[in-house]
Amino acid sequence: MLNQLLLNGIIAGSIYALIAIGFTVIYRTVKFFHFAHGVVYTAGAYFAYTLIISLHLNFALSFFLAIVLAAILGVAIDRLVYYPLRQQKASNLIFLLASFGVVIFIQNLIQLIYGAQILTIRTGPIKEGHHFLGAVITDIQILILAVSIILMIFLWLFIQKTKLGKAMRAVSDDPIAANVVGINPERIILTSFAIGSALAGAAGILISFETNIEPTMGFSALLKGIIASIIGGIGSIPGAVLGGFFLGLAENLGIWKISAGWKDCIAFAILIIFLLLRPRGILGNKTEKKTI
Amino acid sequence: MEYLLHILIIAGIYIILTLSLNLIVGYTGLPALGHAAFSCIGAYTSSLLALNIGLSPWIGLLIGACVAAFSGVVIGYPAVRLKGDCLALATFGLGVIVYSIAKNWVSLTRGPMGLPGIPGFSILGFGLSEIWSYLLLVSIFVVITIFVIKRIVNSPFGRILRSIREDEIASAALGKDTIKHKLLVFIIGAFFAGIAGSLYAHYITFIDPSSFTVMESITILLMVIFGGMGSISGSVVGAVILVVLPELLRFLGMPSSIAAPMRQMIYGLLLVVLMLKRPQGIMGAYRFK
Repeated sequence: MLNQLLLNGIIAGSIYALIAIGFTVIYRTVKFFHFAHGVVYTAGAYFAYTLIISLHLNFALSFFLAIVLAAILGVAIDRLVYYPLRQQKASNLIFLLASFGVVIFIQNLIQLIYGAQILTIRTGPIKEGHHFLGAVITDIQILILAVSIILMIFLWLFIQKTKLGKAMRAVSDDPIAANVVGINPERIILTSFAIGSALAGAAGILISFETNIEPTMGFSALLKGIIASIIGGIGSIPGAVLGGFFLGLAENLGIWKISAGWKDCIAFAILIIFLLLRPRGILGNKTEKKTI
Repeated sequence: MEYLLHILIIAGIYIILTLSLNLIVGYTGLPALGHAAFSCIGAYTSSLLALNIGLSPWIGLLIGACVAAFSGVVIGYPAVRLKGDCLALATFGLGVIVYSIAKNWVSLTRGPMGLPGIPGFSILGFGLSEIWSYLLLVSIFVVITIFVIKRIVNSPFGRILRSIREDEIASAALGKDTIKHKLLVFIIGAFFAGIAGSLYAHYITFIDPSSFTVMESITILLMVIFGGMGSISGSVVGAVILVVLPELLRFLGMPSSIAAPMRQMIYGLLLVVLMLKRPQGIMGAYRFK
């Protein structure tokens, strides 16, 4: 039982970590809570549904196309809503509320198009999982783990090794100095939204292979992503990964003794404890404290 | 006619919610995103008291409001120590926790099945079964709320609230206990939200957790911002317009499977447009800093 819960925690954690690093990539450059990140995740799942079920494309191609579409959606949100707000030098809270507006709009648009009922992508028969250290793991769960770890490694290499990644770090550390040395901040923001949204889309697609999808799924997923990035240390990518796995494990071990409905409660209780006692998170550094 | 009165009653309940949130958000500048949690607590307290021990809804309403006010202490205590985005996130989280408790504590709240058959108000044994008498009752509460909130914001206490909104450090430097004032604002706001929740429960006679989601909190906040932050008449106008406007969709002959998401889409779009074009609302004096 304990092994199964640990495994479930790790799988949930890898999805949370994917959402959290996407959120963090965006947060690092724009420094506000992009709540609409969650609907990009939902949209990713629905793009995959449309491509696989309605257009009968194969899995790999649909996966790739859905990620691209999610990235485009993220960039479109930035261009249409956040870019004009940046021009007005709006405050963080105005960005936050505007992103809530985007969430409500897109979530209900999806509901209008696909209906409020749950949909499923799973086409084949359900196979029995593999037994592993007293726990059961299915093929799809292995896929989720593998893909999310590969994506995390790719992102890490991108941020650390490429020139664009270096520019992104520069903008996140000091946007004015970065501008002085000739980095165009708008281009970096665009890149961050594209990458962050692609990661959210990927998480949404992966989860859609595993469970049913519904228009409201992105909301609690996003909250878990935000909580993960705060407990890991806001703005830190390793922190987001750590926070994601920590949250996944805490939630799943928490329901060992109490019913599964309390997962959200556990997650938010952890968040509030962190906000009060250690707002910079596990890996956050001291100087970042003032940004949150 | 009955339908029109129903809309007015719902608008009245939303006016109370919007005014009490405006005190927190518009006058004190605290971005609270969990207001539905307080009305949830008020509604469940007075309904459970009426259903389980047969308490009169009048006393239930008062106890519900007091329990909500007490929860304002519990929720406000951690929340007022945080600022800006963090405060928004924490109140949001507490809103989710309250919703989650209402949904999962099945032995007490019956969870997603909700509480049916909540008794309505009665005066000297005569039930307020006529819908217009209920409208009168809600109107009285709306007037009381407007009066009290107006007195609060025009008092020296209200001036301190506005000084916290404009510059918290400056008002603390002048010797005002800002934490205490912010906590008091949460308590007052929660008290009125509790009244609104209880009025709603005894009017509809059925409640379930889905009426008190975080999206509901965002809707109330939208009413505050739309009407105008820090404006009493703005809150009244904002609540009435945003309750009535989506009802017009019904007259276009839309089935509810389309009208419900359409209503939310209008709210979402309105929130984005307001933030882009007029973040202080139609008659507001303050925008988020």
